[in-house]
Amino acid sequence: MAAITIKDMSVSYNKGKTFVLDRLNLSIKDGEFCVFLGPSGCGKSTAMYSIAGLLEPYAGQIYFGDTLMTEMDKGKKKTFIPPQERNIAMVFQEYALYPNMTVRENMAFSLKTKKVPKEEIDRLVNEQAEKLELTPLLDRRIAQLSGGQRQRVALGRALVRSPQVFLLDEPLGNLDAKLRDQVRYELKKIQRELNITTVYVTHDQTEAMTMADHIVLLNGGNIMQEGTPNELYDHPANEFVAGFLGTPQINIFDCQVVEKDNGLVLDAGAFTLPVPADTVACLQPYVGGAVHLGIRPADMDLDPNGPITAHVDSIEPLGDAYLIYISLGEKLVVFKYAGEKAPAEEELHLSPNFAKLHLFDPATEARINA
Amino acid sequence: MQSNLTIERSKEAQAAQTVRIKPKWHKVVLHIVYYVVLIVFLVFYMLPFWGAVVSSFKSNTEATTSSPIALPQEWSMEGYSGALEKLKTPLLNSLVVTVFGAAGSVFLGSVCAYALSKWKFRLNNVLFIALVAATYLPFQAILIPLLKTVQSFGLYDNIWGVVMVHSIFGMPMCTTMMRGYYAEVPDALIKQAMIDGNGMWQIYRKIVVPNTKLATITTFVFQCTSIWNEMLFALVLTAQGESAMAPLATTVLQGFVGATGVEINQLMAGSMILALPMLVIYIFMGKYLISGQMSGAVTAS
Ligand SMILES: Nc1ncnc2c1ncn2[C@@H]1O[C@H](COP(=O)(O)OP(=O)(O)OP(=O)(O)O)[C@@H](O)[C@H]1O
Ligand SMILES: [Mg+2]
Repeated sequence: MAAITIKDMSVSYNKGKTFVLDRLNLSIKDGEFCVFLGPSGCGKSTAMYSIAGLLEPYAGQIYFGDTLMTEMDKGKKKTFIPPQERNIAMVFQEYALYPNMTVRENMAFSLKTKKVPKEEIDRLVNEQAEKLELTPLLDRRIAQLSGGQRQRVALGRALVRSPQVFLLDEPLGNLDAKLRDQVRYELKKIQRELNITTVYVTHDQTEAMTMADHIVLLNGGNIMQEGTPNELYDHPANEFVAGFLGTPQINIFDCQVVEKDNGLVLDAGAFTLPVPADTVACLQPYVGGAVHLGIRPADMDLDPNGPITAHVDSIEPLGDAYLIYISLGEKLVVFKYAGEKAPAEEELHLSPNFAKLHLFDPATEARINA
Repeated sequence: MQSNLTIERSKEAQAAQTVRIKPKWHKVVLHIVYYVVLIVFLVFYMLPFWGAVVSSFKSNTEATTSSPIALPQEWSMEGYSGALEKLKTPLLNSLVVTVFGAAGSVFLGSVCAYALSKWKFRLNNVLFIALVAATYLPFQAILIPLLKTVQSFGLYDNIWGVVMVHSIFGMPMCTTMMRGYYAEVPDALIKQAMIDGNGMWQIYRKIVVPNTKLATITTFVFQCTSIWNEMLFALVLTAQGESAMAPLATTVLQGFVGATGVEINQLMAGSMILALPMLVIYIFMGKYLISGQMSGAVTAS
């Protein structure tokens, strides 16, 4: 059990010519469930391998608690504890189960290496197999398992140990929807019980939102934003974060900021919105210029006097809500309607939730409003 | 609907095939010529072998007087018992050298291949290139220094000296072969084993070797055949006494020239005996050798 601190870490696969991760700074608290989230190729696995000690960064330091695990200076090794001495458990994206062993042997392998007594190993393996519904499969060989079963074995193999740190690289990728929910719940519960610092890599924002205490959103080797799921969702620091979190994706409009009747309005062409009083001050520098306005699909509602009038394009029922695609000028916009019945009209009048508007600088894409 | 279609299509295809197969006379002639040529070649190729087999079952008088390809009038094991008597020691020596030499070179090669394929270190590529170059080294070029070295170890005319030389000289080939196989072991497995608390050699022992058994067998068989058929080292490193080795023993067999002339039946029987071990290995292991690759040896993914 340990906090993880990363200081100024850069990782390069070509000796410093280009960097996959660029001066990353991060601290993960003891016992925290931290999710690395980001699109494919953004460096999530690379960051995790560096923590595991499977990869030597180009520069920077990694601490577990107060213990220095990795210290690199321009490609030179100053301190480097090898992975087998870091006491971590890891689930790889490719499962990496040992094909020459049965499920039971796979799960027992690390304990056997640590010379844990046999009865203890049996007890731990059986207990974990029970939780992950692997008991009937314990004596099978890996080749005889389905993808989802393999994934659960990989998870079980990590969970039988009591490591300092859990590293999980997309461990639920191959499970079907029902099993994924179940294993997700089980995993989160076990993590909370054991209170082990966990780094969890995924590109699935739903997984990140539901499981994380702390999300680190990466893009192109840089941290876009970190914080609790709600901080990232409610106050995205830039347009990338706003677009990455939330399904369906946030609607973004190009708006002109114009002065009108002593106040400001946002003119999106197809509609105009008055700027809420608390936002006026931060929009002053943009008067006469453009901003990007973000409205989440669920942050709108039907309102006969609403400022937005739009034509209904198509409706998708979700069961408990409807996704209504509306055209606003040239743009197709999504509106998530939580009503009982889909609206029958061709034309809808909508009003956004003014407390939940997101404004971004069109050049830097950084957030403007508080 | 779709199945109907396929049935119709296959009928059509069948019809088309029947039409195509309908033989034309010049094609038939061509076929006959093919087979005649093939059979002639086969006969020429097999004739010496056939001669050796039948002669080995004749008595010495019959072998020297009758046609070499005629079946024996009287089947006799005399040739075999005679040859076995004279070949006993060389056969045993050869077997020991082959098995231990192959095992030694496979072991050395496997260790090198593992280090070269799964661990990055400085000079990694340089070492590998040196090894590959060593594979192509003509042994004749280094015979004298080799002989001196073996002598200085006091291993001249000692089969363990030959075992040592084969182990070392077989290593580059084994390394090259096994490096290819080990490259197929997924890196994630190695990383996982490290995470599970294992060092480099524990991983080798617990993960890499058990998952590449077929690779080991293939390389071992390959080494066995090449060592068994190897004459040069045996010729140079042993005197022709106690430590004589089997392939050389054909020269020994030529010493079967007795008062009555060459004992052909023994010579032939001896050749059969010498061919037998490799024949057996090929019958049992042939399919791995032919496929050349160890498809399925790494079942990790
Ligand atoms: N061994 C390697 N050599 C060179 N480049 C690499 C290597 N491994 C990864 N990369 C590059 O580093 C970048 C980050 O890769 P990484 O595997 O960390 O991505 P990821 O965020 O885990 O993506 P995914 O979600 O697809 O697993 C990618 O652009 C990738 O091409
Ligand atoms: Mg990855």
